[in-house]
Amino acid sequence: MKYKIALILTLMASGSLCSFDLRANEAQPALTPTALDYLPQDDDERGLWMQMDELEREVKSSQSLIKDPELNAYVRKILCNTVGDTCGRVRIYIMRTPYFNASMAPNGMMIIWSGLLLRTENEAELASVLGHEFSHFEKQHSLQSFRNIRQKTDAMAWMSFVPYVGMIGQIGAIGSIFSFSREMERQADLVSLDYLADAGYDPNAASDIWRRLRAEMDATAAERKRKSQKDDNGGFFASHPNSGERMEYLEQAAGKKPPKNYMHGQLEYRRAMAKWWPLLIDDQIKLNDFGATEFLLGQLGEGGWTPQLLYARGELYRARGKDDDFAKAAGFYRQSLSGDAGLPESWRGLGLALIRSGDRTGGIAALRRYLRASPEAFDRAIIETMAGTDE
Amino acid sequence: MRVFAYAAILTALTFSMPAQAGWSLREDGKQVEVTKSKMSVTPSGDWNRWTSRPSKRGEIWTRDGLLLNELSFFAEISDGETLYREYDKRNSPLPKFSANMLPTDIVELFEASTRIVLQTSVFEMQEIGPAKLDGHDGVRFSYKYAAGDDQLARKGEGIAAIIGGRLFLINYVAPEIHYFDKDLQNFRDMTATITLAKDK
Repeated sequence: MKYKIALILTLMASGSLCSFDLRANEAQPALTPTALDYLPQDDDERGLWMQMDELEREVKSSQSLIKDPELNAYVRKILCNTVGDTCGRVRIYIMRTPYFNASMAPNGMMIIWSGLLLRTENEAELASVLGHEFSHFEKQHSLQSFRNIRQKTDAMAWMSFVPYVGMIGQIGAIGSIFSFSREMERQADLVSLDYLADAGYDPNAASDIWRRLRAEMDATAAERKRKSQKDDNGGFFASHPNSGERMEYLEQAAGKKPPKNYMHGQLEYRRAMAKWWPLLIDDQIKLNDFGATEFLLGQLGEGGWTPQLLYARGELYRARGKDDDFAKAAGFYRQSLSGDAGLPESWRGLGLALIRSGDRTGGIAALRRYLRASPEAFDRAIIETMAGTDE
Repeated sequence: MRVFAYAAILTALTFSMPAQAGWSLREDGKQVEVTKSKMSVTPSGDWNRWTSRPSKRGEIWTRDGLLLNELSFFAEISDGETLYREYDKRNSPLPKFSANMLPTDIVELFEASTRIVLQTSVFEMQEIGPAKLDGHDGVRFSYKYAAGDDQLARKGEGIAAIIGGRLFLINYVAPEIHYFDKDLQNFRDMTATITLAKDK
């Protein structure tokens, strides 16, 4: 189902296909889906909502859905702080998927991927994404996209019967769809800045996210010894503005907002997310993307290298297992154990890293500490086989 | 592994998939060679081998269809090789096997590779313990996961060992409801019949 969500929402909800006239839309009276009593207005919209309602039923029963009431209430609170009372028309679903993404369906279903929560650093940054998605909803971008696709595909079906012209015509039609889509993304970006500034959140938060996403792409590329994809805009079929261009116009637009003492909400964000980080970082480590993960841990470590973060860094180095990675991993595990955080898994990691680095005796001792600290460990049977027991 | 994921991956890339994927019977009690390697197994119950393979070192069997039960064999994976075939090496490269891995490392390699191939984070290792594979020391692991379009809760159990510096791994997955338990004992019985030819 995740593939279906990704496909449908990429195509429709994040407004990637569109040819409507943004100015004309702005001139219309404000009958928008954010009104509490709003109902779909015509067959196109009813059809679209029906499809999205069906998808939403699947999302609700997905094993990937993070149902934790506290986390959901927190993300909703940020949305409501940002866009005001109309937030009530939106239903938020947090999916356990370790990449940066969010999408908005025309019926009010907003999907947030858990990888996004690992990458935003404060409430203002999260608010900028939520505001962006909300403005797709408010401006009915999906509906416009849907109408446009129908119009264009009908044209393409007709053109496909015409030799020669058909191919060129199709390319032209597709190109125009996508260029409008970039316009729509830009509009959502700029509307989001208004929301941020009005709510008192720092409007620079939006460009900050893109700056770090670009740096993360550089980090992935450096580790994999290839060219960074940060300036790839998907070529002819790009649906979003290039990340560099996006960062720049967001920064410029934020600079035009009245100077005042804007909020970031970093401490609050860290507090709300702290219990989720171990899980989200573990999901990230298992993606086998050392460069990006090291970058993200460094980012989180700026707020202080907690025992949990040091443990995660040990896991990351141990998983890569190159050259002196096991020795480095052992160092991180030791640091994580230096306080009294009581992380049994750090003893496990230390033991395994020491054995791999050639210190079998030290490794066995650490594994036994792990077993003592974690008598119910899921891997007790194999660790006992590897390390024996104290008795 | 989930068939949707494999089917999608197999279709998307230029694998050595035959023009039309097919099946061949693996009969109850009749010892057969698997993965064109030195590993042989005696089936418990009748199984069907899929002609599409997850890698040149692997092969997949099912009884009732891949969505309902799937048994995969991997044999003779060498140092520096991946467990599954790379399906998006540029963006999602798979972790590589190393001959000096510990039993727990093999399980971590399996988990990371499987999460990447199935594109899921809903994966929880539940138990890891010692095991024997043709008399060699190995590891047994069990886990839960959900992936793909149906998001059905599935369970899996695997057994693996490094023998002569090469990795051998047999893995069984099925929906948690009914199907996993239905053939779990067959799977366990079959892993006990694994033999490795000495001179191949």
